[in-house]
Amino acid sequence: MKIVVCIKQVPATGADKRYTDDLRLDRNGVEAIINPLDEYAIEQALRLADDGRADGVTYLSMGPEQASEALRRALAMGGDDAVLITDAALAGADEWATARVLAAALDKLAPDVALMGMASDDARGSLVPGAVAAMRDVPLLSYGAELAVTDGSARVRRLSATGFDWISAPLPVVATVTDQVGEPRYASLKGIMAAKRKPMETWSLADLGLAADDLRGAALTTVTDARPPEEKPPTERIENLPAAEAAAKIADWLAQRKLI
Amino acid sequence: MSNDILFFAEFSGGTPARSAIELASGAAELASQSGGAAVALCYGSGAAAGAAALGAHGATRSIVLGDEDRPAITYASAAVAASRDAGLALLAPATPNGRDLAAALVGTLDLPAFGPVRAARVVDGTVETEQATLQGRVITTARPADGAPSPSVVLVLANTFTPAEGGSGSAEVSEAPAAAESALARATVAESHEADAKVVNLEEASIIVAGGRGVGGEEGFGPLRDLAAALGGAVGASRAAADAGWIPYQLQIGQTGKVVKPALYIGAGISGAIQHRVGMQTAEHVIAINKDPDAPIGEFADLFVVGDLFQIIPALTDEIRRRKGS
Repeated sequence: MKIVVCIKQVPATGADKRYTDDLRLDRNGVEAIINPLDEYAIEQALRLADDGRADGVTYLSMGPEQASEALRRALAMGGDDAVLITDAALAGADEWATARVLAAALDKLAPDVALMGMASDDARGSLVPGAVAAMRDVPLLSYGAELAVTDGSARVRRLSATGFDWISAPLPVVATVTDQVGEPRYASLKGIMAAKRKPMETWSLADLGLAADDLRGAALTTVTDARPPEEKPPTERIENLPAAEAAAKIADWLAQRKLI
Repeated sequence: MSNDILFFAEFSGGTPARSAIELASGAAELASQSGGAAVALCYGSGAAAGAAALGAHGATRSIVLGDEDRPAITYASAAVAASRDAGLALLAPATPNGRDLAAALVGTLDLPAFGPVRAARVVDGTVETEQATLQGRVITTARPADGAPSPSVVLVLANTFTPAEGGSGSAEVSEAPAAAESALARATVAESHEADAKVVNLEEASIIVAGGRGVGGEEGFGPLRDLAAALGGAVGASRAAADAGWIPYQLQIGQTGKVVKPALYIGAGISGAIQHRVGMQTAEHVIAINKDPDAPIGEFADLFVVGDLFQIIPALTDEIRRRKGS
């Protein structure tokens, strides 16, 4: 049973992020990390490998050349090898184009489980996994708090409105997991050293049999404006008051806004 | 291609989800701008029986994708058949089920995707959306690229559109066109487990009282429940409180929980980490109660009350009950 974990390199969570003048993410001088929610997918894959359920864990990422750092970081946590898809024609790729490229790469890698995080830290659309599943015509098992794989099928434990369900589908599948799978392991020094020797390939669009035209300029969407959020009025504070007085002030505040 | 605005309407036991009612009014609003009709794509248990009633909320037509209780993603091929070349935009709730179905459409029909958006409108014959991105640091406006296929798929945050009330119209109901076979239909519910206690759908609450690590334990949520009851709201939590097992995960607010947009959010004992913030930053009014005067939530709350939540919250509950005369 082979697993490919798709990961995305994103700006660090606390970093000062902005758009460039051509309305794309400005990557200059911004620390880049593995999308934190993808680390749970990595952890889930490595747990399946630890339990002898997976024979191989491959990482796949699409991004600029520096995204190889994220792959190397993932390899330091564990796993076997990695593939980076990088191509000048992919700058500014939207969710649809990203899904097209990942689907083509997964066709080539042919895993039993293509595993992804539930969302990316930056854009939060969460559409890539389902779009990849549809493009490859394989089942989607999404938002798993846990992923289990047994002979020929996979299943995820997923929250329902009133409890939880186990959703099952025959392999191969695309699956996504949440932060409930367990905290991601740290890369050990030994892991970091070992990662340097693990194979990493770089593929271009041509290697995937795709032409830039297939991707319609890498996007079906266009950003027409990027601006800072509206200024909010400064925070009002209530401090150093006995509880009853503070409560009366809060109630006044709510009443002024017709919330009570 | 028509100028219709489609939307997903999830049903359970014949009742539409709150998101279906909100999107019905949103679709009607966009349809009035585009000169088309608002068309519901209905799925879930009792969808066939409840489909016509969406007319009261703005739908002109309702197409029934299926009305069994099975994973939402299994309705993907019916959704594809119903939306192929069928309109200008398709609105999907930014929920796990809504995202799964939206993604299947994007992947099958090669459609432009937007969201989760906080506003959408029709301008010059195409949809224009507004989204907070990069953890709320940037607001972007986006449109389909020239020549992109239709409909545009738009993920919509809860409470983006206000439900239309008091309508009496009835939507014209039809079956979905014949669907192609799809591997997405192979997902099945192998086991189903009910929680011990009934949990509310936080996305439907207009007032939320949320507790975090500072609440200290399961019993610490008692005063929060009393306040929520006095306000007519619901109780939510940060990830720390859900991870500690003090409250079910269904009530977790944040990046990996629910994204909520209530009229009033009160956070008690919540520090306001970015992961929580992205789940509630679009609330109309935010009150934070925290004993740490430097808690990050104090930087973006509208009203920051520094003090002991176990004294302030019961006092506030009493005050609200007194003013409401109950």
